[in-house]
Amino acid sequence: MAQHTAVPKLSFQYWLDKAVAWGQTTTLESQQDVCLQLPKLQEFLQQIYESLKHMNSTTALQRFPLIGQLLGRLCWNPFVVGYDESQKTLMWCLCCLYSNEPQNPVELKANSWILSLLCHLLSPSEWGANKVGTGTFISALGYTSADYYSKLVKNIVLSLVTELKGNQFNGLNIQGRVSDDHVNIVSLFCVPLITLPDVTPLLEALLTYHGGGSQEVLSSEFLEAVNETFLKKKIVLSESAVLSLWLRHLPSLEKATLHLFGRLISTQTSSLEEVACIIKESLLPQAACYPPIFRIVDEIFKNALMETGGTPEVMTIIQVFTQCFIQAHQKDNKQHKFPLKAYFPHHHQHLVIALLKHPFDLPATLWSQHLKYITDMLKAIIEDKSVRSYTDLFESWFLFVHFGEWADIAVEQLLKSEDESSDTFLWLLAFYYNPNSDKEQRTQILVEARAVYDRLMMLFSCTTLSVADLQAAASTKTDKRQPCTKHLVRHLLFSFLLFSSGGHKIAQEFISHVILASNTTNEVFGLLIRTAYRFNQLGLKNQRVVKLVNELLQELRFMD
Amino acid sequence: METLLWQVEQLPGLLAVSRSGQVRDWDPPTLDRALQWGRYFQHLHGRFRAQPRLRAALGQRLRRGQHGPPLGFGHLGRCPELLGLALLGNRALPPAACHRLLRSLLLPPSGQATPGPFGLLARRRAAAQLLLPPPSPAPARPEELELEQSLRTEAQLLLSRLQEDEEEEEEQGPAGVLEHLPRPRVYRVLAALLLEQAGDNAGGEGASWAEHREGPRPAAAVLSWLLGEPGRLSVFCRLLPGSLLVALSARYPQLGTPYLHLLTNWGSRLRYDPLSGQWASSRCPSEDELSWEELRERFSCFMRGPAPLREAALASLKNLKIQDGDFEVCGLSVWTDLLLDALGIGFCSCTCWCKPGLTPPLQELPM
Repeated sequence: MAQHTAVPKLSFQYWLDKAVAWGQTTTLESQQDVCLQLPKLQEFLQQIYESLKHMNSTTALQRFPLIGQLLGRLCWNPFVVGYDESQKTLMWCLCCLYSNEPQNPVELKANSWILSLLCHLLSPSEWGANKVGTGTFISALGYTSADYYSKLVKNIVLSLVTELKGNQFNGLNIQGRVSDDHVNIVSLFCVPLITLPDVTPLLEALLTYHGGGSQEVLSSEFLEAVNETFLKKKIVLSESAVLSLWLRHLPSLEKATLHLFGRLISTQTSSLEEVACIIKESLLPQAACYPPIFRIVDEIFKNALMETGGTPEVMTIIQVFTQCFIQAHQKDNKQHKFPLKAYFPHHHQHLVIALLKHPFDLPATLWSQHLKYITDMLKAIIEDKSVRSYTDLFESWFLFVHFGEWADIAVEQLLKSEDESSDTFLWLLAFYYNPNSDKEQRTQILVEARAVYDRLMMLFSCTTLSVADLQAAASTKTDKRQPCTKHLVRHLLFSFLLFSSGGHKIAQEFISHVILASNTTNEVFGLLIRTAYRFNQLGLKNQRVVKLVNELLQELRFMD
Repeated sequence: METLLWQVEQLPGLLAVSRSGQVRDWDPPTLDRALQWGRYFQHLHGRFRAQPRLRAALGQRLRRGQHGPPLGFGHLGRCPELLGLALLGNRALPPAACHRLLRSLLLPPSGQATPGPFGLLARRRAAAQLLLPPPSPAPARPEELELEQSLRTEAQLLLSRLQEDEEEEEEQGPAGVLEHLPRPRVYRVLAALLLEQAGDNAGGEGASWAEHREGPRPAAAVLSWLLGEPGRLSVFCRLLPGSLLVALSARYPQLGTPYLHLLTNWGSRLRYDPLSGQWASSRCPSEDELSWEELRERFSCFMRGPAPLREAALASLKNLKIQDGDFEVCGLSVWTDLLLDALGIGFCSCTCWCKPGLTPPLQELPM
């Protein structure tokens, strides 16, 4: 059967050698090795079980002659028995090997051996030379080892937590402060137990414990495993414990950020509220209130943005993350908290302060003015010949991306009010979609954007429009349009549909037409959810445009 | 109701059989029936847990006509585990029935998402092994830590058993359970229980001494059982270290006086051996005796204890010394020697009379 060949014979020998080695020495290296191998071993045990459950014990022993030795050794290794779900799989394998009609002395002996192993796994152990009779005592009380170990583990955890917190334990003996070496080993020994809920208080105490020196006292295996398990949502940890983990262990913070990023990219989210929810759930915005954490997360975002060549999805993620971070920062009641502007160490702090003003901090009548102020500052930085370097330009653009809602408002302003500052806003949009330093290229983009914009404005007051009219307005004579120009034009068109009365009527038809033709569902969907999110934040509910956005969203969700 | 009581009355028998050789005749269907009964009892426990009168009635019925450790209402709830683990450890169970047992206890139930309790048990046992003995060369001896945690846990289980019984209005009080617990283990567990209770209830050391003179309720019941028979107290006190007994006496004044009384009793049995210049046990050493060294150590624990205890011990020793003639010479009265040598409370400088090895450890004088 295919399942039988699924367990390679070689693995038996490999794992048996490992089990023998682990049993023989109790050095730190061997214990670290066990911890590292546990997930793979669990997988292997699961494979064995899948094969065993289709066989009788004789066949099993013939096919896997080493199985007895291997299981026997593993059952005596507390790391293996304690790890995640390994103990269950071990017991299941033993069950499968038990024969209900033993035919010969070998099978009889195997049966008896299986029972002793199971008893070993489930009965109170008689520690070393201290045969104190715990088993007899608890059974005379009418309790079982299940009751006993449940309480015992709680007690041990509690006393370790107390020890770590430096309090004196009010027990039979009074313990002093623990040594760093001891803490290191306790943390290593917790690795297999991370998903055991009884141990959670100990994990939290360890994560918030700092030794005497500046060196890390916790084992890196522990830190990595806790982070991994937390990200997989297999444990719930207090916010402070998670923060402490990320502050003390950089790789964990990086993994957590990449994990969040991966999740946001791979999950089919249907609204930015959902995106914001996933972001908040990750605890990263809260953690980012610590400036070092913010800087690292931001750096990772920056890299993602550069590697994807500035895709709108990534820009939106950064924008929502920034909003979540600012909310967390406002909620943070710490006495000595850093001012928001300190998180954005840009040369031009006036720009930072202007951007930190959220649209709903200002009356809508002032948006245009505020945008002009922002654009003028950006323009001055970009076009200042004395400091023009690529890094400077990029940093300014990256800063603006954090506050992308202002770009959306710029488009809205362009269409809603025939402002004399349309040049300014078009420039801002061109910058948003293309931070290239090449002046000629920007001019080219601006020329095209201006042409499309002018044509759209001419159609603005028409009450009846056709899809073809709009397509003609958006088209260009040359086919060599840059991708960023395409983004910009689509953004203009999209806003036209929302805010012009003619556009309104053909919005649904046009969007399905454009999407079918150009395969830009994601981009249009992204613009829609950004708009819906902004409307929602501004508390708009019953206006026509809000209804339209929701209808379009419904339709696009349906198309998926 | 009568049917229910009759059913519950079968539980002790079922548990007893599961531990006996009678399971030799069990076939898989018998085993299934036994496990079903176990689950049924657990169901009953869940159903009647919140009804105190029914609980008490069922508990009393469970205790009726029992030999050995009495059962209680809680046994119903724990029945599946009690039964399962007893059968698992019973080698008389034939392979076919045992095969069935393993499958129903350990294998994942088909279609059900609820995992059996045994995986968790094995995992917790491994957790205790990993976290218990401090794996590094820690200052404290690992065995002691193990013992301490194990004792605390046993004490907590004993406490919850006593509380269960109390809720069921067990007429014998704690004696019903305590009499049947293995000795001498029970004494160590009792000490741990008393200590734990004192720790839970004492807001501060002084407050507990002044305000809780009778001690908290379960502790008081346990103490009165302990003090109810001289033999018990004597074994209890001999078994436990002097420092712990003084700590307990500080929290439970009703223990202090009898303990001191026991010590003086033991002391009065020592005889001075002029040849070796030492206090020694009487000619026919019985179990109920203490060596000079141990006695001295126990008294010095009193001296290191809180003021009321220290004063009580001193007063008692001085009083006995007066009864013995109030001599200030070593080797005449064990009380004089205790006061002089061991406790460093002399009335004159008489080190010349004493053996050099017994020079009082002045630096250990309390306060």
